[in-house]
Amino acid sequence: MADRILKKENLGKLVASVNDKGGRFIAPSLDARQVVFKDVTKAEEIVTDYILARNSYKEYVFPQTEVVADFTVEKHGVDLKSREVEARETVVFGARPCEATSLSSLRAIFTWDYIDEFYTKREATLVVITVACTKADEACFCTTVDLSPETRAGSDLYLLETESGDYIVEAMTDKGRAFVERHKDAFSEGAAKAKTLVMPERIGTIDLEKVSARLKDKGHYDDQVWARLTRKCIGCGACTFVCPTCHCFDITDEGTAFAGERRKNWDACQYDTFTLHASGHNPRHYQYQRWRNRFMCKFNFYPGKFASKGCVGCGRCIRVCPVRLDITEVMEEFSR
Amino acid sequence: MEEILRKKAKELLESGEVKVVIGYGWNRQKTRTSPVFITDAADSDRLVWNPLCVNNLSVYLTRKFKDIQALGKPAIVAKGCDIRNIVVLITEAQFKREDVYIIGMACEGVVYRQELWKGELKPEIMPTKCHNCDVRNPHLADFVVGGKSSFTPPEAPTGMVFDKIKAIDAMGQTGKWAFWINEFSRCIKCYACRQVCSLCYCERCITEKNMPQWIETSAHPRGNLSWNLTRAMHLVGRCTFCGECERACPVNIPLNLVNQKMIQVVKDSFDFRSGYDEKTHPPMIVFSPDDKDDFIK
Repeated sequence: MADRILKKENLGKLVASVNDKGGRFIAPSLDARQVVFKDVTKAEEIVTDYILARNSYKEYVFPQTEVVADFTVEKHGVDLKSREVEARETVVFGARPCEATSLSSLRAIFTWDYIDEFYTKREATLVVITVACTKADEACFCTTVDLSPETRAGSDLYLLETESGDYIVEAMTDKGRAFVERHKDAFSEGAAKAKTLVMPERIGTIDLEKVSARLKDKGHYDDQVWARLTRKCIGCGACTFVCPTCHCFDITDEGTAFAGERRKNWDACQYDTFTLHASGHNPRHYQYQRWRNRFMCKFNFYPGKFASKGCVGCGRCIRVCPVRLDITEVMEEFSR
Repeated sequence: MEEILRKKAKELLESGEVKVVIGYGWNRQKTRTSPVFITDAADSDRLVWNPLCVNNLSVYLTRKFKDIQALGKPAIVAKGCDIRNIVVLITEAQFKREDVYIIGMACEGVVYRQELWKGELKPEIMPTKCHNCDVRNPHLADFVVGGKSSFTPPEAPTGMVFDKIKAIDAMGQTGKWAFWINEFSRCIKCYACRQVCSLCYCERCITEKNMPQWIETSAHPRGNLSWNLTRAMHLVGRCTFCGECERACPVNIPLNLVNQKMIQVVKDSFDFRSGYDEKTHPPMIVFSPDDKDDFIK
């Protein structure tokens, strides 16, 4: 049977087709010497030689800052008008299999006890086109969290690069199949040989079940191990902002005393003000306690509440950390 | 050098002179260094020293790290450039000279970013600060590890940062504005620049003061501009050009350009360079009757 192929010379056609139909095409491209997901209008802007984009594509379903309402203060009260999301087709090209699975993690939280339409409306029009990995670095650890470059979950289209730079296309979901149908001029049929995928080596000293079991046992909570391994954390939000599953946000009002916007901004559990009470008390007084929370969120709270993963092993937090705090070293400690 | 460092650390911990040694250790793969806190003399062998030791560990001496302060008197492994930050902290009364044991490392330069390391320290992977360094031999230390460096910095500072500042100065007001608005537009408000900086030690940063909200916390162009300008202004006359903020920035904002420009302005106006003398206060926090401007008299 012939494969469905996206030829590299047709990538431009696909970008144009999406743009012409009013959609956004997001792909890895160069910005300030880094490969990042951003809007592209030409195939030439797309970078193909990269491990992962610096940012996660979560910002296209959960923007870093967005206006959720407008307010005016009247004589007898406040007039608050909610904003509506007008989502349009948004195509993320070049996601990696690990981060493709993160969408189900975001969905779990944004539809859990309240349906957050700012998220769901965007997700409904998002098409995730994954390109399987032919490169990895020492920060990659997808295989350690039971994922791999062969993981297809979360992808609408799953692409394998061929030796000649084309892509073999597998449509994984109805959304993916509809996408191919809608932009069918860009796709062709043929036979091609896929490049070998690169599997990051599984870290043998890590046992996810043991990690979860130890975190469930409350005895770990005041364990000195947290301070020992993570007191070097400097408390910036870089890890949480590049993380494809971190989802915390803060609501803030901007404007004058009489009118303004209510915004939803990314927040990070690593900031000391994240849990600071109005009384002045902070239940997470030390930085390593904040770090413990992030780890707990990923390997205890998430698996306890949802069927999806809290950590997909993309390794972004390791690469971006100014003090090279490696989450896998902590996982290793909790596997003992 | 590593052996001498380890021996010294062991000695200090065994004698009880210090309770913790703040230094560098390997990550699991032994490809990157990462800060370590040695509290047990038996762990002293975890300390390493090589050109990958880029972090300015003086940040851990600040009051941002109450758990580290609670451990007791620290010894710190510090390069000359890191010691400059310690000097500023002393002049700003964050602690006294005798509150910290400085293990000064004679240094032949470090890499700009650890990921550039290919096993050899070449000039092209070193940051601008190393090419102009006048503190390769630690200027304030209780114990110095390593032999004297014979390096003499060039008379006129050289390097990419200085070249770029000249280019930006030539852009004119509109050009400069456009340049910086573009650079700051990438800011994601993660505050890594603030957190990694040993001179950003306020317990309550102005961005966290929300009655009123002085700095807009949103990562939109207005909020990004106000944050980045505020950060810069708060470091005038204090910043030592250690380069940690630029290294930590996940979106590559060239903060070294901002910082070095401020340093040049302070040098021209006050003939002051921070971090050399722990007994001289930075110009922004002193009043001098000999001030050359008369508007304040």
